[in-house]
Amino acid sequence: MAINNKRLNGVLAFGIVLILISLSVWGFQLKQGLIVTDMRNSFSWGLYIATFAFFVGIAAGGLIVSSSVYLFNLEKLKPLTKIASLSAFACSLAAGAMILPDMGRVGRIFNMFLHPNFRSPLIWDVIVISSYLVVTFLSVYFQLLPDWKEEGRGFWNGWTKKHSFEEIQAFSKKWSKRVAIIGLPIAILIHTVTALIFATQASRGWWNTAILPPDFISVAVASGTALVLLISLLFAGKDRFAEYHDAFKILAGIVAGALVFHFFFVAVDLLIHAWWGKPEAHELFSLIFGRYGLVYATEILLPGFTMIYFFTQKGKSSRKSFVLGSVLLFIGVFAHRMMLMFPSFNAIPLSLNINGTGIENWAYPVAVGQYQEGVSTFVSSWSYFPTLPEMAIALLPFGIVIFVVSFFLKKYTFLPGKKVS
Amino acid sequence: MRLGMVIDLDKCIGCRTCTVACKSHNAQPPGTWWNRVFTPGSSHHQTAIGEGEHLQMSFLPVSCQMCDNAPCQKVCPVGATYTDERGVVLVNYDRCIGCRYCIAACPYNVRQFNWEDPRKAKERVGYKEDYDYGYPTDVRDKQGQLVYTPNRPQGVVEKCTFCFQYTSKGEDPACVRSCPSKARIFGDLDDPDSEVSRLIRDRQAFRLKEELGTKPKVYYLPASKPNR
Repeated sequence: MAINNKRLNGVLAFGIVLILISLSVWGFQLKQGLIVTDMRNSFSWGLYIATFAFFVGIAAGGLIVSSSVYLFNLEKLKPLTKIASLSAFACSLAAGAMILPDMGRVGRIFNMFLHPNFRSPLIWDVIVISSYLVVTFLSVYFQLLPDWKEEGRGFWNGWTKKHSFEEIQAFSKKWSKRVAIIGLPIAILIHTVTALIFATQASRGWWNTAILPPDFISVAVASGTALVLLISLLFAGKDRFAEYHDAFKILAGIVAGALVFHFFFVAVDLLIHAWWGKPEAHELFSLIFGRYGLVYATEILLPGFTMIYFFTQKGKSSRKSFVLGSVLLFIGVFAHRMMLMFPSFNAIPLSLNINGTGIENWAYPVAVGQYQEGVSTFVSSWSYFPTLPEMAIALLPFGIVIFVVSFFLKKYTFLPGKKVS
Repeated sequence: MRLGMVIDLDKCIGCRTCTVACKSHNAQPPGTWWNRVFTPGSSHHQTAIGEGEHLQMSFLPVSCQMCDNAPCQKVCPVGATYTDERGVVLVNYDRCIGCRYCIAACPYNVRQFNWEDPRKAKERVGYKEDYDYGYPTDVRDKQGQLVYTPNRPQGVVEKCTFCFQYTSKGEDPACVRSCPSKARIFGDLDDPDSEVSRLIRDRQAFRLKEELGTKPKVYYLPASKPNR
């Protein structure tokens, strides 16, 4: 069954509901402060930043799919480039939005433009994500121009009136290609710079590795492509599955291939930590395999399954198999993003060896930033778990992606010859 | 001028007077501590570690290390954290956007966030209504940046300022003045004749997490013998 207009309306409304829930709880947080989250001084980034990194990751798909069409002549993917660009645009918008509730003083965001510090990776992330947002939007816009001309609608296209359909089609083709090629390095950069936010910090052993940027790219290629696969699969519906089956197979192949790189990077990273065997590494391993073993297992096993599954014929055989592989991957990648935080913030950087006592790696206690009777103000670890308001606010990017994607799919033509009925 | 501090661990008795003086002089809200003193290796302060006849105890005060190569300053996207002309790392409370990148970056966990309005935090704990503590007025640096205010805005980061309100007038920070055993010495690291420079030269001073290359301006003189 194809997605019809009624169904899309339902999806659109669902997106709006998520956005409204998030915005209202955000209002509550603005008033009360970030105290309504479970973040504290010793665990200062949590669900918001993890969700941000998740959406930056899945924003990759769009331009990777479009660029592959031009760079590797994957003509079969061509019908999907519009959906790919749309998913990239929606995800980068969502990632940008997720940052706002994390800020203690969001009203001062203009300071980023008035007083930018170009040594901060964060400023560069703002620059590359904004550029990506513009490029992916232009990519959607250029690709929609010929349809709009034909159908006599659209926006910001008054100038096309003076030109013939053929001219607009040629223009669209030329500029879509240009944008895809300009966009590819920016797509690579958003993951590189987002990874550098973490990787530059020598105080956090779990982040401080040069493998992090390439690993972010591999995870992004996998999860971003999986999102394009999922959206186009659902949108094409059962009726047109056969028509695009080959394209879906290519996408699943890209996902599996990218995951091979990801697991290679993960293995090398773990090996280097383990081989030298610093006390810090022992602590790290007890965190990732012990205390957070379940989250880490989710991060490793689910994408691991997807990788193997998408290499097999069975994994690429039906709608169900594509959906299963993609959804498991998303859960795993989300766990991966959360695992950026758990081991990092629970390994106190100021740890001391006390010679002559056998005490290694003693964590110097941190003031949490809140006084509660009967609860210690000074801690050496924090069992962070997002609060309900925090989870509600983190729905914002999910709402935005669902809303933007369904809005555009409903309004304009995203698969050739397919009109939403 | 490069202001720095030397902490003589031979003299520190772990009394936490500096911690309290710092907190009250700088109006830190409940749960926020710019300056901490703990007994390394022990889960409880002032509790010995070791076994049998080999019990021992030493103390380690930790506040902002005033790094010359300060990661907190480098990560700040808006330059709210900066180093002034005396080498003091400060936060402009008017500019901080509350992204908390600096908290993640600091290897010493000295940075504290205003998770809620400090007035509300004080109220909730139940301090007497007219009980107010801390330096009473706003303090701005030469460029007019707000580096101290008794109640910090909700959602900004704060930390030790080397008591800007006092040291900008040539006085010593509260922790230095309040230490009953005179374990803290404050002065100009650029002046080879200052007491801090002399102590660092003569006493095998060390810095915390030196291997990270943050180049702190807080030096520690090792305890020559553990307290038993």
